[in-house]
Amino acid sequence: MSRIGVFICHCGENISRTVDVERVAAQVGKLPGVAFSTDYKYMCSDPGQNLLKKAIQEQKLSHIVVAACSPRMHERTFRKAVEAAGLNPFLCEMANIREHCSWVHEDKEEATAKAIEIVGMMVERVKKNRVLPTITVPVTKRSLVIGGGIAGIQAALDIADCGHEVILVEREPSIGGHMAQLSETFPTLDCSQCIMTPKMVDVANHPKITLYTWSEVELVEGYIGNFQVTIRRKARSVDEDKCTGCGVCMEKCPIKKIPNKFDCNLGMRPAIYVPFPQAVPNTPVIDRANCTKFKTGKCGLCQKVCGPGAIDYEQEDTLVVEPVGAIVVATGFDLYTIDEKPKGSAIKGYGEFGHGKIPDVIDGMTFERLASASGPTGGKILRPSDGKEPKQIVFIQCIGSRAREKGISYCSKVCCMYTAKHTMLYHHKVHDGQAYVFFMDARTPGKNYDEFWRRSIEEEEAVYIRGMVSRLYQKGDKIVVMGSDIAVGVQVEIEADMVVLATAVQPQKGADSLAQKLGISYDKYNFYSEAHAKLRPVECATAGIYLAGACQGPKDIPDAVSQASAAAAKVMTLFAKDKLEREPIVARVKEGGCVGCFACKKVCAYGAVEEKEIRDRQGNLIKVVAYVNPGVCGGCGTCQATCPSKSVELDGYTDEQIVAMIEAL
Amino acid sequence: MTQPIDTSIYAAVTAAIQGEAKRILSEGQVTAIVGYAAARRKGSAQPIVISQPDDAQKLIFTPACVNNLAVYLTKAKKEIPKTGKIGIVVKGCDLKALAGLMGESQLKRENLYLIGVPCAGVLGSTIQPDTELTSDSIAPKCTECNERMPPECDFVPAVQVPVNQGLEKKYAAEIARLEALTPQERWAYWKEQFSKCIKCYACRQVCPFCFCEQCLCDRNKPQMVETTPRPAGNFAWHIVRAMHLAGRCAGCAECERVCPMDIPLNLLNRKMAKELKELFEHEAGFEVQEKGPLNSFTDKDDQSFIK
Ligand SMILES: Cc1cc2nc3c(=O)[nH]c(=O)nc-3n(C[C@H](O)[C@H](O)[C@H](O)COP(=O)(O)OP(=O)(O)OC[C@H]3O[C@@H](n4cnc5c(N)ncnc54)[C@H](O)[C@@H]3O)c2cc1C
Ligand code: SF4
Ligand code: SF4
Ligand code: SF4
Ligand code: SF4
Repeated sequence: MSRIGVFICHCGENISRTVDVERVAAQVGKLPGVAFSTDYKYMCSDPGQNLLKKAIQEQKLSHIVVAACSPRMHERTFRKAVEAAGLNPFLCEMANIREHCSWVHEDKEEATAKAIEIVGMMVERVKKNRVLPTITVPVTKRSLVIGGGIAGIQAALDIADCGHEVILVEREPSIGGHMAQLSETFPTLDCSQCIMTPKMVDVANHPKITLYTWSEVELVEGYIGNFQVTIRRKARSVDEDKCTGCGVCMEKCPIKKIPNKFDCNLGMRPAIYVPFPQAVPNTPVIDRANCTKFKTGKCGLCQKVCGPGAIDYEQEDTLVVEPVGAIVVATGFDLYTIDEKPKGSAIKGYGEFGHGKIPDVIDGMTFERLASASGPTGGKILRPSDGKEPKQIVFIQCIGSRAREKGISYCSKVCCMYTAKHTMLYHHKVHDGQAYVFFMDARTPGKNYDEFWRRSIEEEEAVYIRGMVSRLYQKGDKIVVMGSDIAVGVQVEIEADMVVLATAVQPQKGADSLAQKLGISYDKYNFYSEAHAKLRPVECATAGIYLAGACQGPKDIPDAVSQASAAAAKVMTLFAKDKLEREPIVARVKEGGCVGCFACKKVCAYGAVEEKEIRDRQGNLIKVVAYVNPGVCGGCGTCQATCPSKSVELDGYTDEQIVAMIEAL
Repeated sequence: MTQPIDTSIYAAVTAAIQGEAKRILSEGQVTAIVGYAAARRKGSAQPIVISQPDDAQKLIFTPACVNNLAVYLTKAKKEIPKTGKIGIVVKGCDLKALAGLMGESQLKRENLYLIGVPCAGVLGSTIQPDTELTSDSIAPKCTECNERMPPECDFVPAVQVPVNQGLEKKYAAEIARLEALTPQERWAYWKEQFSKCIKCYACRQVCPFCFCEQCLCDRNKPQMVETTPRPAGNFAWHIVRAMHLAGRCAGCAECERVCPMDIPLNLLNRKMAKELKELFEHEAGFEVQEKGPLNSFTDKDDQSFIK
């Protein structure tokens, strides 16, 4: 006979405002099997938990129902308390009378009646809970980091410095990400390359880091502590072990005029190339789409000039499988291209700003390349159209961002600051030039950030115009920018030589398909979702996977680096133990009913279902049935929904329990 | 208008399978063969399992050979496959059931010797066995059949493959009629049909795909489907049946044939098959498919129902 204890939480007033908690306690106290019921202001607080523990001991309770908030919030808290009082933690269930009841209802009478039903259902369910032993699984103390921008680099270095092996996967030929493209960085204006390249070199030289550039994650199997990751190493056409990075091949390659993506297509590169001189690794790749050898079979010059014989036209993609225990996702961002409406996207284009049509309308990253000492103009601000120095320059902020009607409602966070930086860089380089900025608000929270922004106005003489631009068009060699100054209430028209658009920060292309491979969730923009916006900002809801950098939302470098170190700390916490305890809420097969159709095996996303032979004592095969490996099962219940004969069930969610809950209504 | 159907192939097919059966039994290639033999009433046929070469002469193939013998390999006669490699006489529709069973780990191709039979059609379930095969007496499923020659068998008699002579597709016509009704009228139609069910579970017993040892309808802890033949429980059973067979049903129409209450069970099966074809481009066929549409997911799947 069960002696169930029910504890009704007021949640301050969150619950008790709309639910008569005392009446709920009194009513459920009368249910068969309930030995004790009470209510308390904050069940999760220390005194609340002590109340629970004391009642278990004094009342000799056998099962517990805590009626409070969502189990996502505090199930772990109460199970721990129950365990401390000597009961198996899985004999404790939560009834959600906050999110499912008090928060969504106004009528106290009705909400109370509903709360009684919710608790009554959980009483019936918990009666049939079994004692479950905790499952321990081994932890592979190696980590995968996906994305070699500043966030991925920082996470990899931190984890590796702690003595654990790291596999860093970058899909471009070099690590570095967007930070490698920047000229100087706010809020201090130190040169981006100067602070970035040493870190890139550290990665290359670190004995604990294996770097796979020009590579992508193909398949992720397994679970926290025990992932198997298949990585596609795209054919580089250059043997990394032989290449010394001398660069003769790049000098001799007759194809010279391929727009370099790294320079935002302003500079040119050969068909065999490294994206920038400080690339790590300094091993070129052949761009097969543009290489004469691959197109026509002729040429082959690079192979002839390569001293160590590193060029290999026959190279094929290879797949490597790496066992890892944790994954840090740091795939960063992309800038919104505004020329036209992106295909298949809900986001509307910004054709009215002429990007892609008027050559001297560029985006912020292109400006970074112009301003960069190692950029295509050697750091001179010159117009792409005719190479002249622009004397009037207009910056327009919030292109794409904060425009609900156009499809993006978030703020890209970095544009106010980098536009301020751009006006300074411009003023430093073009002393007689004038910069104008169209902006909606200046958002400059952060240490020394507002000071930085003020400096651009007060010392560097940028003219800030509060208002949006309605249209711009080419007139001779000028670009006419028409907008409004809402502070003064007048229309303004500026004849500019160059226009820089601060376009929205968006997730990388393909961010959603990577998320599907990893089994992590993402929002409607494809930014990856953290497990809890406030309390678990670097973890994914999928155990063992962590987030760093702009792939989770727009971020500047200090934020990306902090988050990367935080993710690394989470990985190291995981690796601090040899074995990992995990929830034993897993599926079990009732072998008597199982007919071995393996529908369960086909649907199990975790690969937890195996085939098991049942033999008699003489060793004759009786039948083959399904077996769920408890270490692998993620407790999703998909098999249970699929099994035609109802022969596999999730502990705590058995058909018997679900039906008992329905019948309690 | 009644059209005659050419049944001249059946004699040649019978002779050929007798010869092949005798050969493989005497050579020890198989331990037993599941096929058809003449039954007591004139012109009728019944399933038979033979294991002696001399019994091969008992095998026949006629328009009365209606049964889907696949069921004898899974549950009804489970001990037969245990004896070794088994020969089985299969029509095209039956072969689809075998392919499905292989995909669901119930049978292995290497344990079977498939004796495929070219088929001009079998008689409908309400027709006397010695009736002439015509466009009226033919089973409805045969009016829609395009698989008169079972592919990839170990043996197929060398006779000219009969062609489907442009018979009116009976299920398609009936589905079109039902689809034209309002949801209320359709509901009323199925309600009436299902209310006739007496829960004898003959449809389940005869279906090769109902191979569960403990059908969920027989479970009582908890009871999922009411056991007495009352409207709610009947509905539950028929929905379970339709959903469990969706994408798997071979269209052999055995369920419909055995139903003592004449419930048009294969009509529902065909409708489900049509839905799956439209939604997932899936058809139960001769290929052993690793995953059915209801236990796989691709990003091309129709998601419109979520929004
Ligand atoms: C114009 C501009 C100016 C800026 N100026 C400043 C500044 O002055 N100061 C400042 O603090 N911040 C600045 N920022 C912000 C800064 O660029 C970002 O904070 C920083 O780059 C984020 O780093 P990350 O590693 O998260 O992403 P990224 O730099 O985008 O790196 C992501 C990396 O992951 C790789 N990757 C993506 N997908 C995959 C995949 N599927 N598999 C493998 N690899 C993948 C990419 O190739 C890339 O190398 C600026 C941003 C812009 C747009
Ligand atoms: S789906 Fe059910 S019957 Fe089929 S193998 Fe899995 S547990 Fe067994
Ligand atoms: S509950 Fe079933 S489907 Fe889900 S992970 Fe476990 S075994 Fe696989
Ligand atoms: S065979 Fe007919 S009557 Fe019997 S259970 Fe099936 S549908 Fe009902
Ligand atoms: S449901 Fe009916 S038609 Fe389909 S395979 Fe089973 S018996 Fe044959």
